[in-house]
Amino acid sequence: MTCSDVERVLPELLDGAPDGALPEEVKAHVKSCPACSDLVSDLKLIASEARQLAASEEPAPRVWVRIAAQLRAEGLISDPVTGDPEPAPSRPVFVPVPERTSSGRRWSAWWLAPVAAAVLAAGSYVVTHKPVPQVATQQTPATLGKAAVTATATPSPVPVPAPQQLTRKSAKPAFSKSATAVKSAVEPAPSEEDQQFLSAVSTLAPSMRTTYEIQLQAVNADIRETQAYVDRNPGDMDARQHLMDAYQQKALLYQIALDRIQ
Amino acid sequence: MTDPTQGISEREAIEQAKQGNEAAFEVLYHLHKRRVYSLCLRMVSNPVQAEDLAQEAFLQLFRKIGTFRGESAFSTWLHRMTVNVVLMQLRKKGLLVVSLEETLEGEDEAPKKEFGTKDLKLTGSIDRLQLQRAIDRLPPGYRTVFVLHDVEGFEHNEIAQMVGCSVGNSKSQLHKARLKLREYLKFMRAEKAKTG
Repeated sequence: MTCSDVERVLPELLDGAPDGALPEEVKAHVKSCPACSDLVSDLKLIASEARQLAASEEPAPRVWVRIAAQLRAEGLISDPVTGDPEPAPSRPVFVPVPERTSSGRRWSAWWLAPVAAAVLAAGSYVVTHKPVPQVATQQTPATLGKAAVTATATPSPVPVPAPQQLTRKSAKPAFSKSATAVKSAVEPAPSEEDQQFLSAVSTLAPSMRTTYEIQLQAVNADIRETQAYVDRNPGDMDARQHLMDAYQQKALLYQIALDRIQ
Repeated sequence: MTDPTQGISEREAIEQAKQGNEAAFEVLYHLHKRRVYSLCLRMVSNPVQAEDLAQEAFLQLFRKIGTFRGESAFSTWLHRMTVNVVLMQLRKKGLLVVSLEETLEGEDEAPKKEFGTKDLKLTGSIDRLQLQRAIDRLPPGYRTVFVLHDVEGFEHNEIAQMVGCSVGNSKSQLHKARLKLREYLKFMRAEKAKTG
């Protein structure tokens, strides 16, 4: 029995293999060899001390401030200023009192509903048009608006192969060093739908314009980055799910605007 | 300022958060913020990025909280979601599986057994700050597996599923990560002994 022999079984020795499962000569060597004995005790010490690092750090208060602001912008929590009552249980999304025109009529933004649906339909298409099992339609968030749900139910224009055609293992991307050379995409010009959306918000709810613009930029950037990753790794199902989530998030943004300013 | 976590259980907070109650969201945030932020910080070794990732993890959680049915522990659900958010970020940057694959191909040699001071043993306890610094120095692939297993307590089969590698690979990465940490820690102690 040599130190190299011990090193081969070291992971089992450290990770809870019962003593009986280890050859007697291994245990005897560790006891008699100071170098191996030190190595085993050091690695055990590192593993046990590492547990102390869980929950050891406190995030800055600004993290909650940003989360709360985002939740409020997305209409997921009540607005403390208006103090409106909680929304109905069937739809736990807060919809603030909409702005009104000088004539007292609510602004009409009915066109946002099909746009939200179109955004999600586009997302469904983009996510599913590559030959991998479809995952998107099963995980629509409960908070997604009616239009978005309708869009999710729309059949994809491109046939999706049966799941058994590709296994997760075979679809796993071959990562390489070139993947580290991902360039952050340059901010492209807003799409026609986004321009219409922001223009409508500017007209109907000018105070919300900046908020929606920032949210739109963030979600568009997430879609671009994730799309670029999915293009390079078409078999990564987690990435596809993330991309679908991003499209759903964008549809939700449109839907919230619809609720607020319609 | 009163502690928002006083007087309300996690289960009550979850139910109220499903109804859009801000205070309930805040309760859940304060209950889990340290664990989530620490996990993000250990995995990316960058406080600013860690804040962004923790924020994203909580936002994803709150957006989907209506779907939480309680089959698993809420903390398990949240930590899984946090890991997925961080791994997605690492994937996008090409920092995650690259290291795992390279190591499998033998491009990254296993750590050398000795690192300067072979007689210095890590007896007693390890300074938390030093351990933290040593973890920060690990290559992302090693660091990911080490944090998920030794810090967060995930099993190898869970790590393999989340990261997208084999169980054997996860075990191998963990072992090499521990060996590297030992080298770093011994080196740090030696440096401290020299200067002190």
